[in-house]
Amino acid sequence: MLELLYASLGLSVAGAVLALVAGRSPRAAKAVACVFGMLAALASFGSGAIALTSPAALVTFVGPMPFTNFTLLLNPLAGLLMCVISVLAFVAWLYGLSYFDEYLDRGMGSIGFFMNLFIASMMLVILSDNAFWFLVFFELMSLTSYMLVIVEQNEKSFKGGFLYLVMAHIGFLMIAISFFLMATATGSLEFESFREAAFEPGLATAAFFLAFFGFGAKAGIVPFHSWLPQAHPAAPSNVSALMSGGMIKIGIFGICKVCFDLLGAAGGQVSWGIVVVIIGAVSSVLGVAYALREHDLKSLLAYHSVENIGIILLGVGTGIVGWASGNVWLAGIGLMAGLYHLVNHAMFKGLLFLGAGSVLHATGTRNMEILGGLARVMPVTAVCFLMGSLAISAIPPLNGFVSEWFTYQGLIGAAMTDDILLRVVFAFAVVALAITGALAVTCFVKAFGVTFLGEARSDAARNAHEVPLPMKASMVLLTVICVALGLGAAWFTPLFSDIASSVLAAPAAPAATGAVLVSLDTASAVSPLLIFVLLACVFAVCLLMRNAANAKAGVVRDEDPWACGYAPDTHMEALASTVGAHVGSNLTPLYTLRSGVNGAGNAVANFVQHAVAPEDAAADAAKGAQDGATRPLSDSVLSVVHSLGTWFSRLESGDFRTYIVYIVVALVFFLALIILVR
Amino acid sequence: MEIVVAIVQALLLVAAAPLMSGIARKIRAKMHSRQGASVFQDYYDLAKLWKRTEVRAGTAGLVTRIMPPLFLATFVVIAAGLPLITRACPVPLLGDVITVLYLMALPRFVFSLASIDSGASYTSIGGIRELIVGVLVEPALMLVLVVMALACGSTNVGTMATSVATFTATPPVAVVVAGVAFAIACYMEMGKVPFDMAEAEQEIQEGPLAELSGPSLAMLKLGMSVKQAVVAGLFIALFLPVGAAASMAPLDLIVGFVALIVKMLVVFLVVSVIENAVIRVRYKYLGRYTWFAVGIAALSFVFLIIGI
Amino acid sequence: MLDFSLVNVLGACLIITSMTVVLARTGAGAAKLYALQSAVLVSLLAVLGTVTGSTELYMWSVSAFITKVVLVPCILLFVLKKITATAPGVAVDLPPKLAPMKCVALVAVEVFACFVVVSGIDLPTAAAVKPTLAVAFAHFFIGLTCIVIQRSVVKQIFGYCLMENGSHVTLALLAPQAPELVEIGIATDAIFAVVILSVMVLTLARKAHTLDADDLCELKG
Repeated sequence: MLELLYASLGLSVAGAVLALVAGRSPRAAKAVACVFGMLAALASFGSGAIALTSPAALVTFVGPMPFTNFTLLLNPLAGLLMCVISVLAFVAWLYGLSYFDEYLDRGMGSIGFFMNLFIASMMLVILSDNAFWFLVFFELMSLTSYMLVIVEQNEKSFKGGFLYLVMAHIGFLMIAISFFLMATATGSLEFESFREAAFEPGLATAAFFLAFFGFGAKAGIVPFHSWLPQAHPAAPSNVSALMSGGMIKIGIFGICKVCFDLLGAAGGQVSWGIVVVIIGAVSSVLGVAYALREHDLKSLLAYHSVENIGIILLGVGTGIVGWASGNVWLAGIGLMAGLYHLVNHAMFKGLLFLGAGSVLHATGTRNMEILGGLARVMPVTAVCFLMGSLAISAIPPLNGFVSEWFTYQGLIGAAMTDDILLRVVFAFAVVALAITGALAVTCFVKAFGVTFLGEARSDAARNAHEVPLPMKASMVLLTVICVALGLGAAWFTPLFSDIASSVLAAPAAPAATGAVLVSLDTASAVSPLLIFVLLACVFAVCLLMRNAANAKAGVVRDEDPWACGYAPDTHMEALASTVGAHVGSNLTPLYTLRSGVNGAGNAVANFVQHAVAPEDAAADAAKGAQDGATRPLSDSVLSVVHSLGTWFSRLESGDFRTYIVYIVVALVFFLALIILVR
Repeated sequence: MEIVVAIVQALLLVAAAPLMSGIARKIRAKMHSRQGASVFQDYYDLAKLWKRTEVRAGTAGLVTRIMPPLFLATFVVIAAGLPLITRACPVPLLGDVITVLYLMALPRFVFSLASIDSGASYTSIGGIRELIVGVLVEPALMLVLVVMALACGSTNVGTMATSVATFTATPPVAVVVAGVAFAIACYMEMGKVPFDMAEAEQEIQEGPLAELSGPSLAMLKLGMSVKQAVVAGLFIALFLPVGAAASMAPLDLIVGFVALIVKMLVVFLVVSVIENAVIRVRYKYLGRYTWFAVGIAALSFVFLIIGI
Repeated sequence: MLDFSLVNVLGACLIITSMTVVLARTGAGAAKLYALQSAVLVSLLAVLGTVTGSTELYMWSVSAFITKVVLVPCILLFVLKKITATAPGVAVDLPPKLAPMKCVALVAVEVFACFVVVSGIDLPTAAAVKPTLAVAFAHFFIGLTCIVIQRSVVKQIFGYCLMENGSHVTLALLAPQAPELVEIGIATDAIFAVVILSVMVLTLARKAHTLDADDLCELKG
């Protein structure tokens, strides 16, 4: 296990250095980087797979100076993340064998260098057991991925990269403060000492929420999500797959580690879980609602990452609530659902990003509005993208459905309590998840239909071609994994249960027997394999009957679609904007919310920009006369007073009914005051 | 034995679905004071379409070809799992409410995908509307199912049906109000006037069905009738389990079978009368009605929490 | 069967009927629905009387039947007829300010909030009927909702009556053994209040020629 790990890290670093050295000949750099990357991924997958099923191993390195000591911990949770990232890394490098041909003249050596370091730093973040080194590798991960985001070297990628860097550092700061809070309480930077110390509730809550929002900024929860749709599309597609499938999962890993592992000795609190569930529910609905308005294929997928992180957080939050209230079954199933969805999302999101990359490679554009009809020229890509769409929409019997089924069972099981607050919160979460599912179906019908089906709407789409073999092979590999995780769920579930139970340090709740997935407290079961078999049989029967009838009566082709007697035009089809308009008119409040939330993110980035570029501020001051410094101050005070005044003037409405409401509110307030004071 | 029951009820729904739409047509004719077509007209239509040559648009690909069989197959599988004749699910592995709801999402997915595949504007707008109806109705359905799951202690439809049949689902008024909300939501899901957004004959000329013909159209029309029967069946299974067989004894099963037919007829009668008494809701006002159903479901949830 | 759970069920029916009164579109319809709501109230009082074994509640339910189910709706229907007779052209049935779904949601929130408040109260007499107490308490706010969202002043009278119903049920639940004098006082209060309000509505219809609360904000003198 450890040998494979060292081999993997060594190969990654070697690949990085060699790629940089071979930078003058891009093809060699590409080959070296990809081959070393694939070998490193295989090694780390092996190491992670062994770590999944063996007891935790702690490795300590003692160096010449005190700060060079660092420890690595290989426990099942780390093993799981290692496997996930290794699979994605392997697929990304395989894909890159053909995909990086576009980037040969844009510094292939540096791309290979940074990508190898990125993957190595992700592995080290997962394995670190020392707060200082955790933060060092975390920072390394952010920096290397920033370099990869700005590879295109244009205005949009610089803006996206800068916003990403700012958000990553905000997250970093919050995580650092959380770790230092714990370190000052225990006197050491080792996670082992955090684990053994039972922190007092106030400190534990502060540390948890700081870590939650810090890692959440990395994961892309609302309100820290605005960087995702700007940063992920700018990077090369296989890097986006790695970032969206792997890096944001490190955020979830961090939350689980801090909550269950580091703060575990004192036991958690139910309020933590409730906050996590609420933020998860809100993120999932807002993420998918915003995805529906996107015309850029990769921005759409990035917003869906926000949605799926929300779903993962629903599972993790349920686990926290169960763990804090002592409900072993609930904790097990919640955390297991979260981890299962983490793996599933990595797989199908990786697949979808690679599919988007293939579309970009074949047509040169990501804009769905001008594509169309690609399924005829790129059949393999189309089928893989369709499978990915079905998986992400949680259609049975694929893997997305399995993890969402477990999430639902956990949420409903958590609502079967007498506590009013928990019931309301979990019922809200279930309804939010249902809305998310329906919106995800809408979004992927649009994404797949508008891009791949119908009539080609531009020359780019007409002249597209199927992608080369390495790209096809990587997409097919991920598709097969998605299908296996779905149909073979009953055999993967015990593995995830065991991982969850090792994190919670509690016995595993049985969640699968034979070929059936079982949920005990809600007394229910499902079998994806059975559903697949039944569907396939009945579908085959219906298909054969229909084809027999067709054979008898004949089929006529080459009719234009009906367009009221006009000659059909490619502009008559449904476009991405059609779907967006329909949804927007029905769900307007969600979109007006976006301007507020995104505006906040951009405002922070602008503030930082001005703070680090004082020469711009000086130029502004020189331009604007003597009161240039004080003018903004007086202006802002005046505008605040004005807006406050306008707001208050609305209280005096002139309608006697509002005055009745004021009287009653005052009455209720004073009654409540009396009761409370008593 | 349960397998036989499952197969029988699936075949019953497939066979009887066109009869239900035929009865609806007859009722409309009588309400308009005319004779109307025969009750079996839909069967004659399906047989006629089955023998016709199919005409396919040039842009239509694999998705359009596999959509009608997949649509019908999925609803047949769902029908086999619902507790219609018996109180418990004949196939418990198909009886989880989450499974049923998400299995119903698969036909909607391929239906809308096929409508975009055809490349015609009315067709694709119909498909998109179908998706929007799904989005708006889903919260009401899910909230009612959560109330029922909490009231009956399980997410399995058969267990819920048994609790309601033996009056052990507490609290009672919450279940009744949830039933009302579910009836409204199911009515919208069935796509009957005033909510037939996808086909909308007056506005978008038959919508997604316009580009299909011959055996594919026959299969899809049958599939849509089966969908309406399945949604009605879901409502009957959850909230009207009167007369459903409590055990596998032959007499109980026969009584359950007859009770199912009677309940289906009653539900379709009520639905037909309502359908023929109103005009279609304008698409942009659909939101008001769906949120009204969500409001009633929320009220039932409040009753559940209060304990009434 | 005849125990506190039936009281709770009737309490839920009370909420549903009150909501229909708030959502009713015509004045006549609102009057009939109010009669139905009062009938549910009367049966609630009767069942409560059987369960707590208090004869005063029986008397109370009889008097409530006469006043709320018979007299008040009749007075209001009479007023509506008089308005259409003496002041034609005055619109009586105006749509409320809030969409139906938001009304339902608001009612649900009010019931929930009252339940949270009531669960903090520990009274021996009301231990088993906490849900119904929450319902009765919520009626005060439902009546207030009716007054605030309705544009037609005739419907606002129904809001006032709903508030009264709420306070009566609260009293019945908390003090079932209250003497008969109390109920006589309540009965007279209800009738007189409704009569005075109806006279004012008639005057408004004749003099101001409008029953719209938005227009009535302009009244001076």
